[in-house]
Amino acid sequence: MDEIDLQIIEKLATDARISFRKIAEELKISPDTVINRYQKLQETGVIRGSTVVINPKKVGYHCMTAFLIDASSLHILGNEANPVDSSLILGKLISMPNIILATKTVGDHDLLAIGVARDFQHLMLMTHKIARIPGVKDIQVSFWVEKSSLCPKYFIV
Amino acid sequence: MARGTQVDKIDVNILRALQRDARHNFADIAKSCSVSTDTISKRFRKMKKAGIIRGTTILVNPKSFGYDCVASIGVDVRLPRLNEVVELIQTIPGIVFFTTSIGREDIFCIAVLKNVGTLSQIKELIKGHPLVRNVTTTIWVDEILLCPENFEFNHLKEE
Repeated sequence: MDEIDLQIIEKLATDARISFRKIAEELKISPDTVINRYQKLQETGVIRGSTVVINPKKVGYHCMTAFLIDASSLHILGNEANPVDSSLILGKLISMPNIILATKTVGDHDLLAIGVARDFQHLMLMTHKIARIPGVKDIQVSFWVEKSSLCPKYFIV
Repeated sequence: MARGTQVDKIDVNILRALQRDARHNFADIAKSCSVSTDTISKRFRKMKKAGIIRGTTILVNPKSFGYDCVASIGVDVRLPRLNEVVELIQTIPGIVFFTTSIGREDIFCIAVLKNVGTLSQIKELIKGHPLVRNVTTTIWVDEILLCPENFEFNHLKEE
């Protein structure tokens, strides 16, 4: 990655729909160069995709929630007959409606998911649904209603 | 509780398409909705103006920029002087998201950092604040799955 790549990334991070021609003009390079660079950045996994940033409140979601999940030890270690691990829980989480991010973690908990809930009742339903995933032992919920700061380049939270 | 701003089927189709790929061609979305491309651009601008759409962005891999450690940090504060700790957190480079929250933690942050050493320094820094009771750090392992298209819009059509 060089300075040109970084500038292309910067422009797309601010507006993913900017035309390649406009980027080319602003950086004083040819549109083909921009296209080639963009494709290469995608191929090498630097750019993982693009998305629209929605204001959850405007579409009826009033609680953003972090679910901190503990898996039961059997599901982390697995056993010969039943080789299960937290990847199964991770897969289930990310296919749940309104879960927008999920990851395995090291530290206080085993997995973390971030989701959007309409209201407290909806939050309860989501928590219960996660609790029913096989291997989930405990869930700690931390939720917020007002977003303070975000850097959308890495995650959409 | 307010259900949010009115959006219709076409709006939802636009949001869905752009969630998967922000550079999605408006002409294609128009075709799938059987409306004109102009209608799609108008709707897009309208949703931006109404604040439903904050913007569009690319998602980059933090690792490609030398950030090997992504972690969430929970801060337990001696209430009610939360703002003083928030002020400290605002100044810490590497914290890309923070919010005051309800639950076991009073502040929830996400940090994108060079390595675990930096995380340790940040933890010590936050813990050093006299109003901070406890700090918990949780390191996110490689497989961070993002799924912005999991947003449900069904409830908006109920009305």
